Amino acid sequence: MADNKIAEKSSSSLIKISLIVNEQPRELVVDATMRLVDILREELQLTGTKISCGIGRCGVCSVMMDGKLVNSCLVRAYQANGKEIITIEGLGENGLHPIQKVFLEEGAFQCGYCTPGMIMAVKAMFDQYTHPTEEQILEGLSGNLCRCTGYGGIIRAVQKLSQS
Amino acid sequence: MNMNFSYSSNLQSSFIRPDGVDKVTGNLKFLTDLSFPNMLYGKILRSAYPHAKIISISTKKAEELPGVKAVITSKDVPGLNRFGLIFPDQPVLCDERVRYVGDAVAAVAAETEEIAEKALQLIEVEYEPLPVIDDPEKALLPSAPRLHPDGNILHQASYQKGDVEEAFRTCDCIVEETYELPRQMHAYMETEGGVIVPEKDGRITVYVGTQHGYKDRFQLARILAIPESKIRVVSSPMGGSFGGKDELNIQPYGALLAIKTGCPVKIHQSRRESVRSGLKRHPMKITMKTGANRSGKIVAHQVRIIADTGAYATLGPAVLDFAVEHATGPYIIPNVYVEGLSVYTNNGVAGEFRGFGGNQVTFALEGQMDRLAVELGMCPMELRKRNLRKADDLGPVGQEIAPTDGAAQVLKAISQSPLLSEREQSTNPWTKTGVGVAIAMHGGGLGFGRLDPAGGRLSLNKDGKIEIAFGFEEFGQGLLSVIERLVIKEIGCSANDVKITIGDTDHVPRSGSSTASRGTSMVWHALQRMKIPFTQRLLEKASQYTGVPVDRLYLGPIGIWCRHKSDSELLITYKQMADETKDDPIQIETEFHFPTTPHSIPGGHYLYSFAACAAKVEVDVLTGIVRVKHLEQAVAAGPVIYPTGYLGQIEGGSVMALGYTLLEEAVMEKGKYVTENFDSYLIPTINDIPLSMDITAIEELWEGDSYGPRGVGEIGTVAVAPAIAKAVYDAIGLWVTKLPLSREEIVKAVNRRELRKWLTTK
Repeated sequence: MADNKIAEKSSSSLIKISLIVNEQPRELVVDATMRLVDILREELQLTGTKISCGIGRCGVCSVMMDGKLVNSCLVRAYQANGKEIITIEGLGENGLHPIQKVFLEEGAFQCGYCTPGMIMAVKAMFDQYTHPTEEQILEGLSGNLCRCTGYGGIIRAVQKLSQS
Repeated sequence: MNMNFSYSSNLQSSFIRPDGVDKVTGNLKFLTDLSFPNMLYGKILRSAYPHAKIISISTKKAEELPGVKAVITSKDVPGLNRFGLIFPDQPVLCDERVRYVGDAVAAVAAETEEIAEKALQLIEVEYEPLPVIDDPEKALLPSAPRLHPDGNILHQASYQKGDVEEAFRTCDCIVEETYELPRQMHAYMETEGGVIVPEKDGRITVYVGTQHGYKDRFQLARILAIPESKIRVVSSPMGGSFGGKDELNIQPYGALLAIKTGCPVKIHQSRRESVRSGLKRHPMKITMKTGANRSGKIVAHQVRIIADTGAYATLGPAVLDFAVEHATGPYIIPNVYVEGLSVYTNNGVAGEFRGFGGNQVTFALEGQMDRLAVELGMCPMELRKRNLRKADDLGPVGQEIAPTDGAAQVLKAISQSPLLSEREQSTNPWTKTGVGVAIAMHGGGLGFGRLDPAGGRLSLNKDGKIEIAFGFEEFGQGLLSVIERLVIKEIGCSANDVKITIGDTDHVPRSGSSTASRGTSMVWHALQRMKIPFTQRLLEKASQYTGVPVDRLYLGPIGIWCRHKSDSELLITYKQMADETKDDPIQIETEFHFPTTPHSIPGGHYLYSFAACAAKVEVDVLTGIVRVKHLEQAVAAGPVIYPTGYLGQIEGGSVMALGYTLLEEAVMEKGKYVTENFDSYLIPTINDIPLSMDITAIEELWEGDSYGPRGVGEIGTVAVAPAIAKAVYDAIGLWVTKLPLSREEIVKAVNRRELRKWLTTK
C-alpha cells in the first residue's frame, strides 16, 4: 500500500480549502491531495498529531473530523474541505481534559508518541458511550497501536474514567 | 468486566512523570516535530538489490530537478565512509557494493519532501546483481561468496565446562531440539528522524534520537572529519527505541546534506523506509541437547547457536556473546558446551534489541526444561528448582557475580500463582486451555571487557534548582521519573526543586549508553556517590551564611531547614543559596564504571535480574488461533524506584514478547522484506493482549548487596515466549519449536492426530 505524502500526478493542483480546526476557522491553499496530517503538522504547526505508518494502520494520526475519529493520514485536503477538525491541541484548552488526567495517573503512556491519537480514540469512544463495555473498549481502541505500555495502563485509565 | 490489570502493592503510585503533561497534551516536541527557517528535506536512496556491485551512479538528472539543493554519494563523505558501534563496517554511502536492501547509495536535500522523493527516482544507479545469501547456513558453505574481507563469520563465541560427551553417556534422559526464532522489528511508533542544523559558529546541531548521544557524536565526527567539539547531539525525547535507535540511522545523511547546503535538513523516514533500513532482532537457530539423570539433575547441556546478523556488524558480536552466556540461564549444570556463530548474510541488519540475545536462547533453554520434565515425568517447577542456582553460585559462564537468590525468589512467587492450581476446562470442545511457566535471568550492563563508563553531575544552578545531569536519553522508559524520584529521595528536596538535564551533549556529562538495563542502576549509583559531598557543601555554605551549626541543618523542600527541639523551620531557600554561592557554585561530578565481574570473561555480567512468567492460553483447534487469556510475571530486580514505570516496563515488555511469540516476523524472501508496514508486520493491538495480567515486583536483594536497583527495561520480555509455548503444549500436546507460533502448524498437527487424546475422548 502506498504511503507517499502526495498521490502520483503529473502536475500540481492547488485548491483553496476552508476548515475549522479546534474551533478556529482556517483557509488554506494547498495541494488537493495533501494529507490532512501534513496540513495539521506542516501548514498549521499542530505537531501534536503524529505520523507513523501512513496507511491507516497505527492510529497515531487520529483526529476527530465532524465528530468522527479518522486517520488523518488517509484524509486528503479536498476531503477535509468544509469539515470541522479537533486535534489533541483542541482538548483541555482550559486545563487538562479528564482523559488526559487519567492517562497521567494510570501510566497510560510511556514514549508518548501514540498518546495524542490514543486520547482522541478514547474521546471518540466516550463521546459514544458513557460507560463503555469491554467489547466497546476493545473495538474503540483497536485501531490505535501502542508499542510501549502493552495497553494495561490505557485500559486502567479507561476503566477509571468509566467508573467516575 | 473481565479485564483486570493488577499488580503488587509496591507498584502502586500517584507520581506524575515530569514529561507527562506535555505528552498527554501533545505539546511535547519530538525531534521529528521540529522545524527551522530555510529547512530542507532529506531523502535517502536505498539499494535496489540485496547484493550487487555498483557499476555507476549518475546524479545529474536529480541535481537538475528544480528545488533540489544537494545530492550526495560516497564521494561526498569527507571522513571515514563507515559506521558501526563495535567496529565500523557499514558504509555510510556505498561506493562499490551493496550488501542489503537498506544500504544507502545516495541522498538528496530539496525544498520539499516530494521533490526530494522525485529526485531519488532520477538518480541512475547501474548495478550488477550478485548471488544473494539469504540464510546463515548458506553463508557458511565454502562456495558462498564472501560478504566481507574476513569472510562470512562476524563472530564466534563459546563456553565450555566439564565434558559433555562423557556426561551424556551417564544420562537417563536426553532431549534434543532445534529452535527457530524470528526477525522481530522494534516497531517504535516514531520512525527514525530529526533535523540537523548548521550553526553560525561553524558547528552543527544534530536533533536526532539515539540511545547514546556521545557515541553518535564520536561516530559522526569520524564520518564528517570534524572534531567532536564541533558537533552537538540533542537526542531526547524519542518516540520509542527498544534498542533500535542505538546505532546511527539517518544522522550521517542529514549532517552531510546540512553541511553541504548550509541549511537545516530534516529527515523523517516513512515506515517503509524504516522497515527497510532499520535494525531487527537476530533470527537465531538454536540446537540444544540436554541430559539429566532420573532424579532430575541436569548433568549435560550442549548448545549450538547460529545467528543471522545480516549485512553488517553493529552490536552483533555482543548479542551473540550474551546469548552464549545465557544459554544455561539460572541453572547449575556441571557439563556444558555452548558454541555460537554470528553470520553475515544479505538479510536486513540485525542488532541491538531489548533482551539482547537472551530472548532467543531462553526460549530454547526453557523449552528444554519443559521437555525434560515431561520425559522424566516430573513437575516442571520441581525440575527447575532442583537445578536452580544458589545465591552464591558462580555466574552462568563461571564468573563471580553479585550474590543473588533472584531465581529462587521468582520461581517461588510464580509457583503461588492461582493459574497453576486451577484446572479450568473449556466448555467449547474446539478450544483447549493450557498453562505454562518459564523463568529467565538477564545480565545488566555491557559486561566484562567492554567500556561501560557512567557518570553524572549534581549542582545548585543559578536559578536555585538542584540540577542533575546525565548523558542518558528518554525514549519513553521513564528515566526522567527515575531521576526525579531518586533525587527527591536521596537529597530530600521536592519535585519542584529539581531540574533534570539529559540528552544534549553540550550540557550533560558522560554517562554511557541508555541501554542494557543500565540507566536506573547508574542513576542510583551516581547519586550514592554525589549526594554526600553535595549535601555537605551545601550545608556548610548554608551554615556559613546563617551561623547555624551544620548538624542542625538538612536539605528539604524549597531550601535548607533547621531542626529545633520539637519542630523545624525553613532557614534559607535554594534560590537564596544560589545567589549566595554564585561566585563559587556548588557542583559535584562523578565518573565510575558499571560494576563488573573480576573474572576476565568477555561480556560476562556481574549484576542480574530475574523473571518468572505464567501464561494461560486458549487454543482454537479449528483455526489454530492461540489467545493468551492470562499472564503473570514476577520480577526480582531490586528496589522499585518509579512504580508506574516499572509496571509499564513489565506489562509493555510482556505484550511485546507476546507479539514475538504469536504474531511478529519481519519476513524476508531472497533478501527483500515481504512485510513492509503495519498491514503485514503485525504488532499486538489491544485485541491481542491478555485481558488479565498480574505483575509482582520482588524488591529484596541478597543480604549485603550494595548495588541498588537494577533496570527492568529488558527482563519483562524474556520469559514470556517459553511460558506461552509450554501453555500450548499443555493445551494440545504440540511442542512448539518455531516462533512466531504458526496457526497452520497447529491445525496440521491437529489433522495428523498427533496430539493428546482429547479429540477421541471428548
